[in-house]
Amino acid sequence: MHLVVQAIILGLLTGGVYALMASGLTLAFGVMRVINVAQGAMIVAGAYVSYTLFTDFHIDPFVSIVLMAPAAFAVGVLLQLVFLRPLRSDEREELSLLVTWAIALGIEGVLSVIYTTTYRATLPGYVNDSLTVAGYRIAVVRLVAFGISGVILLLLYLVLHRTRLGRSIRATVQNPTAARLLGVDAERVSAYGFGLSVATATAAGAVFGMVEPFNPGSHYDLISRLLTIVVLGGLGSLTGAVLAALVMGVSEAVLAATISPTWSSLVFFVILIGVLVVRPQGLMGATERGRL
Amino acid sequence: MVACRFPDERGVVVRVASHKVSLAMAAVALAVTAACGGASGGSSSGSTKPLVIGISLSFSGDFSDPGHAAELGYKLWADQVNKQGGVLGRKVQLKIVDDASSPNQVVTNYQTLISRDKVDLVFGPFSTLLTAPAARVAARYGYAFPEPSGGGPLVFQEKLGNVFFVQPAPVVNCGDPFVSYILSLPPSERPKTAAYPELDDPFAEPIAERARLKFEAAGIKTVFKEVYPPEMSDLTPVVEKMAAAKPDMVFAGTQSDDAYSMVNAMVQLGFSPKFLFQANGANSPVEFPSKVGAKNTEGIFSCGDWFPNSKAPGNQAFIKAYIAKYGGTAADIDSGSAEAYAVGEVVSEVAKKTGKIDNATIIKTLHSGTWPTVEGNLSWDKYGAPNGSTMLTEWIGGKLLPVYPAAVALHPPVIPKPPWGG
Amino acid sequence: MRTVTVPGLARGLGFTALFAAFPFVFTESWVVNIGIFTVMYAALATAWNVLGGFSGYLSLGNAAFFGMGAYGEAILFQHISIGSGYRPFWVLPLIGLGVAVAVLPVAWVAVRTRAATFAIVTISMLFIAQQLAFNLHSLTNGAQGLVMPLPPFPNTTFERPFYLAMVAVLALSVLLSWYVATGRLGLMLFAIRDDEDRARGLGVHTTYAKLFAVAISAGLTAMAGGVWAYYIGFIYPQFAVDPLVTIGAVLMAFLGGRGTIWGPTLGALILVPAQQYLAFSEGASELYLVAYAAIFLGVMLLMPRGILPSIADLVAARRSSNGAHRADGPRAEMPEAVT
Repeated sequence: MHLVVQAIILGLLTGGVYALMASGLTLAFGVMRVINVAQGAMIVAGAYVSYTLFTDFHIDPFVSIVLMAPAAFAVGVLLQLVFLRPLRSDEREELSLLVTWAIALGIEGVLSVIYTTTYRATLPGYVNDSLTVAGYRIAVVRLVAFGISGVILLLLYLVLHRTRLGRSIRATVQNPTAARLLGVDAERVSAYGFGLSVATATAAGAVFGMVEPFNPGSHYDLISRLLTIVVLGGLGSLTGAVLAALVMGVSEAVLAATISPTWSSLVFFVILIGVLVVRPQGLMGATERGRL
Repeated sequence: MVACRFPDERGVVVRVASHKVSLAMAAVALAVTAACGGASGGSSSGSTKPLVIGISLSFSGDFSDPGHAAELGYKLWADQVNKQGGVLGRKVQLKIVDDASSPNQVVTNYQTLISRDKVDLVFGPFSTLLTAPAARVAARYGYAFPEPSGGGPLVFQEKLGNVFFVQPAPVVNCGDPFVSYILSLPPSERPKTAAYPELDDPFAEPIAERARLKFEAAGIKTVFKEVYPPEMSDLTPVVEKMAAAKPDMVFAGTQSDDAYSMVNAMVQLGFSPKFLFQANGANSPVEFPSKVGAKNTEGIFSCGDWFPNSKAPGNQAFIKAYIAKYGGTAADIDSGSAEAYAVGEVVSEVAKKTGKIDNATIIKTLHSGTWPTVEGNLSWDKYGAPNGSTMLTEWIGGKLLPVYPAAVALHPPVIPKPPWGG
Repeated sequence: MRTVTVPGLARGLGFTALFAAFPFVFTESWVVNIGIFTVMYAALATAWNVLGGFSGYLSLGNAAFFGMGAYGEAILFQHISIGSGYRPFWVLPLIGLGVAVAVLPVAWVAVRTRAATFAIVTISMLFIAQQLAFNLHSLTNGAQGLVMPLPPFPNTTFERPFYLAMVAVLALSVLLSWYVATGRLGLMLFAIRDDEDRARGLGVHTTYAKLFAVAISAGLTAMAGGVWAYYIGFIYPQFAVDPLVTIGAVLMAFLGGRGTIWGPTLGALILVPAQQYLAFSEGASELYLVAYAAIFLGVMLLMPRGILPSIADLVAARRSSNGAHRADGPRAEMPEAVT
């Protein structure tokens, strides 16, 4: 029992980080109907930048997030303008998948050249410390990662619900035509939305780099999990993504602890298939354009 | 060098052209592809032809770091040998190509090196995964295949007579010195119980399994055994279960990252067994302490085929030459470079001993006798598996030292392992 | 309906003959070796196209079928002998059929989702397949991999049987591709691509059509995987079920023209020799992924319909500007119009 509860705790902490990583992905889809397969690669890129800032300049990962965010936002806007806007809107969903996959390969290639394929990890001083709460050990670094993820998700929520840009984004997600009629510049919202999604990705990368070793090829495993999370949660739904991420974290950890680690990653996919059989639109997705 | 231009796409198949033209165009496309480089590379006029050695290494993809290390070793050997006039008077020329860590590409590369470029000899690529298919290609053409890093069981199961794994022992035997050492202790000092966390990997798992069988036969009880997948970057769940079983000894079949995360998890959970052996990862002189913390390395055992301070024949000269050519210190030298260098060494030695340097001679000669290299004195059985054994190493005072067998030890082993943090 | 035209037949037979004759004209081993991979990717791209190009449902999990075919061969020949060495080729149709049937239940779950979700679900399926390959030790030997018996072919013509087997798979793929495209199934798939809801409203059995396309695509891909397994000899999970195989096939189909019959083959003819050549030249290799990405992006943005349809457009435009023929606008996606 102790083992199971410990696993649940670990799973929640891991799930929180995945929730942050998945949030950008589902946001991109909701706003622009774009499946950003490069999200994984952007997260890894964020991890590398944060790692370099930490190892060479001794900048704390949390601070690196603040530093990276504006640059990442700008990069996101640029990518959207150059690669995504030219795609015809009726084919955008499918083509964006391939275009962003190509971008992901490009990012992987560049990172391989710069950093080679050695695994890295951002190891702040507290990496080996752990707290004991009610008999359960909690690694400090995972708690910090969870905390940062929570803060950023909260910030994202605030942006979406308390700022004008956020309202425009939500309006575009719910009903793009109506939004346009009300004066929302869909093109600009798309660009900013994508920028926001990339900024979230690099922030998630900084956090990710603290808890897991990574190399340029890590984005494959990452994106497959993230895509599965957003499909389970329902494409376009932020709450769904968070929920699904927590489900994933907990189910994998519990299975690893109780039965066997080798089968643990499969359990999540099985859950996905199970849900899709009953609800092809995912847990919180709608069959039409959804809410964020 | 024939300039290769691929035909403009428009020239290949155009819908409205007549059928004859389109068929002809398609034929041209295939022909030009084939003709690229079809002109055979070398017409070496000159008095003595260079000795061209073809090698496929991984410069991109998963194996690119070890691939680079091997390249350094091969090139250093070629330099050294050429400084002394080459092999049997022929200058060594290395033709190194990239296989992008892909078995498809490695097959293509050796095919091309042998049948198009008609290289004189070939040396092996990195990793059993690539060595196995490549060895078959070389065998078909009767080429000897001395290789630095394909030591997994699959390579020897192929029963190819042309393969030589240039390391002291097959990879799965890496734990043997540790087993011998433990069993050499008086029963009161031996561990009573053992745990076997194993990475699901063609090398790591067999190492642990082999040791487990030997330990069980000697009466050491197995209280934990679990296989974990390579993507599992946080080994806390595994380590927790293992710690709950309270083993005296942990024999871990690890590679690199899992070794680091296993130690990290053990430190975080405060679990410190009396004996800890990690097949790989813990033998990285620079990375291991940087990833787990230098204070945590004390007393951890590992196995190795090469160390900067090993007393193998020619090792110090190798290190000196390496530093002269590439800079840095002895601790920066990756064992992959030493392994590649040793491959070159055995070939030079065959030439010196027999006065010939063709593939048939190499194959025949290397199957008997012992050959001194920077990896130690090597000899092989008829399917290419080396007959020696690796060394047991231990972290003592922040340094990785060989400790067993006594003949190669630079320090006696230190047991039991102290608690974490020195 | 389906008419076998003389030009079409000539093209089909002609190209097949050309491909088949290749290793007898260019006998050098290394050339035939590149030919094997080229034809393999042509078959993979053509097979992918049956679902992805015709119906617009982008499957990104085809490498799973490839791996299933490869493992199927390897597992089979752990237990039976290869005879004179040709048995692994004779069993290919069985393997193709076996995989096609085996994927149906999973495919059924997948095709009930809509296009964007479908693509993602196929990616997940790919990773599940890879995980299974790693984990089902008793079947696949996990990370240790499986070994195919050594083929007994003579060294001078060693590659030939493999090459011809690949050509056979390609020919079958193109034939099936043509058969589907010119028949009712093709109409259903094109209708789905244009507007699935309307198609359904008109009574098209969309699920059945998609399932059939998946089965065909899977079976053909598995056969290519089987030949590959025999040629390389060593099957490891991460290489047998490799996302780059899928992405390569998709890129080639896009480059040549998805929705056409010969487009994917053309894409393969261009990209595979280029890729192998690039990797072989020293120094070019590290930028391999970046080059791949650049080509992909270039094709997406500049020639989104691919080479063959773009050429057809150009030709049609020139014709109409010559006043000779009023072209009804880009029709290159209809199979009758393109080779």
